[in-house]
Amino acid sequence: MWKRVLLFMLVVLSVFAFAEVKKIVFWTAPNPNQETFWKELVEKWNAEHPDVQIEWSVIPAAGSSEEAILNAIAAGNAPDICTNIFSGFAAQLAEELDVLVAFDEEFGEEFWKLVDARKMRGILEGWKLNGHYYVIPIYSNPMLFWWRGDLLKELGYDKPPRTYSEIYELAKKWVVPKEKYVIRAVAGRNWWDRWFDFITFYYAASGGKPYIENGKAVFNNEYGKAVAEFIYTLFKNGWTAVDLGQDPFENGTILGQLMGPWHLNYTKEHYPEVYPHIVMTPPPVPDNYPEDKPIYTFADTKGLVMFEHCKYKKEAFEFIKWVFSNAQNDARWIELTRMPPAREDLGTNPVFAEYMKDPYFAKIAEAVAYAVPPAMITNTIDVQNAMTTYLMEPLMYLKATPEEALKQAVKEINALLW
Amino acid sequence: MSLKRREARLGWGLVSIYLLYTAIFWGYPFVWMLILAFSRWKFVGSPKFVGLQNFFRIFEDKIFWRVFLNTMNFLSYFIPMVFIASILFAIALNRMKYFKTFVTLSFLVAYVSSGVAYSIMFQRIFSETGPINRFLYNAFGITIPWFTDPQLAMLTIAIMVTWKFVGYYGLILYSGLQAIPKSIFEAAELDGATSWVKFWKITLPLLNPAIVTVLILAVNLSFGIFTEPYMITGGGPMNRTLTFMLYMYNTAFQRINPSYATTIAIMTALINFSIVIFIRKVIEKEVTVV
Repeated sequence: MWKRVLLFMLVVLSVFAFAEVKKIVFWTAPNPNQETFWKELVEKWNAEHPDVQIEWSVIPAAGSSEEAILNAIAAGNAPDICTNIFSGFAAQLAEELDVLVAFDEEFGEEFWKLVDARKMRGILEGWKLNGHYYVIPIYSNPMLFWWRGDLLKELGYDKPPRTYSEIYELAKKWVVPKEKYVIRAVAGRNWWDRWFDFITFYYAASGGKPYIENGKAVFNNEYGKAVAEFIYTLFKNGWTAVDLGQDPFENGTILGQLMGPWHLNYTKEHYPEVYPHIVMTPPPVPDNYPEDKPIYTFADTKGLVMFEHCKYKKEAFEFIKWVFSNAQNDARWIELTRMPPAREDLGTNPVFAEYMKDPYFAKIAEAVAYAVPPAMITNTIDVQNAMTTYLMEPLMYLKATPEEALKQAVKEINALLW
Repeated sequence: MSLKRREARLGWGLVSIYLLYTAIFWGYPFVWMLILAFSRWKFVGSPKFVGLQNFFRIFEDKIFWRVFLNTMNFLSYFIPMVFIASILFAIALNRMKYFKTFVTLSFLVAYVSSGVAYSIMFQRIFSETGPINRFLYNAFGITIPWFTDPQLAMLTIAIMVTWKFVGYYGLILYSGLQAIPKSIFEAAELDGATSWVKFWKITLPLLNPAIVTVLILAVNLSFGIFTEPYMITGGGPMNRTLTFMLYMYNTAFQRINPSYATTIAIMTALINFSIVIFIRKVIEKEVTVV
């Protein structure tokens, strides 16, 4: 009899023990280096915390992470926490859909402790939305201009061109129609590509001034005109093309391109012979840009959010804290991804000293201070689609003059923002 | 229980499965569609009633009418191309003695292949640095901007879709050809008709049912194009390859506006049906072979 009771108790206990496991669904960016980073950490966490298990997977394949996440929200199977969120999308999720947890409200003191532990108070200000913080910034990628140092040397250049005119001069020496072009001027046809061409060039030309201010597009000014004129000139003379083929920078089809740090490992792996010859500079600027003034650029910055429907918010935040209050994890992040973590002590904290010796990473980390995030608007996608249709494409296909295209684009975007 | 009631019961029993299926997979979405079209909803929370606002918005939506023009543009390329190609295919098949099955299957491979896969393939073939342009440049010193020129991009997509459907439509026309009795042709030959006259006076009129079928299939297809522009052009350049499906998708999942996307879907269906009705009114003839 006693044996039976004991057995029964054991069974009941084990059932409860199993039922006690809390599951947190966690999605991260579909990028091999980032996957390695999270896989290690999640395994470690799960081994140490048998009662709180992280179910980790990458964001499902779709046109973009945003689409995948929206589809998941619509279908009711969105994750509890998710990375790879840019500011505009966070604004959309928080303001329009109201599905995000405001960390400062939910966790108060605990949240600020984490912010100070990771030295990100200043960076966090760029993510403020209606007085709250919905995102924990993970990394900030300043877009820099990569040049082929070896090819430039052959042409007799010791240092890469700094201004638009210098690029035109270089083009006259280098370009062979239909074969070799000077730089890539247009990143692509997706809405996010505007960050990596027009918006970056605009930040550089204007010293980091906003392109949308107080709910109005303001880039139809001298800076916007200079950039549009620059892109138009390159296309008009055949110094660049819409389609440059596979890996044009590595294959020597072009001399330079705007690129983010995420591409470093790719080049190193697939084109080891090209890798040592990369020369990084800030984006090119108009001829009248003062030589002694720092050049601004665009920050491709992504963060982590928690969804309102998360059942175990406290436990999920414990995991976030466990990851980001440890500087060693950020060091491992740099090692794997070559992207600067969103923290203000990269140059001073001894943990990162070793990485600052890498000239490429040092250049990138240096630029973080002059890297401006995108406008915090809820309809980023519409706005940047309009930028593509009314500004970039007319310039690419020479369908409108730079003035006409700018005027039209600003008009259309203001109609959207209204 | 009378026989009548038993019969009725059996009838309902047999139909019930289908009715249940329809209720779940057609009825429920249809009701949901009506709710969405007259409200504003963003995937979470409950829809807010806004009356006809979504419909008014369509008439002011420049992009919607751009898409309408794109679809007409696509039709004007696609219908003649696919029609001529499939009728030639059907006639050729009709005259073949050997390897009929093999040829038919070869053409049908295109029809069953994955849209994503062949979009990637064509993108490579037509790219600025692809084999076609490389050849043209080496031979004549020119390149054709297949996907990057606003006018050409839709034509290129029409060429791809034609390639995919020639086998399928050709087979429909071929079975139409098979159904025409040989005796009619023999009688015409005795009366001294040339092949040309036979084609115009006998083949085409008697093919009418098959031709109408192909036309309607082709029109419906044109309103449902998604994969090719999604994979290759993203609706560009200058929105010239934006299709109804792609616009709906972007509106729902990129711009988070499923209610407006539903309204676009309803308008698309209405335009599509009116074109189909128009075709049936103008082209469809009652064909009887006595």
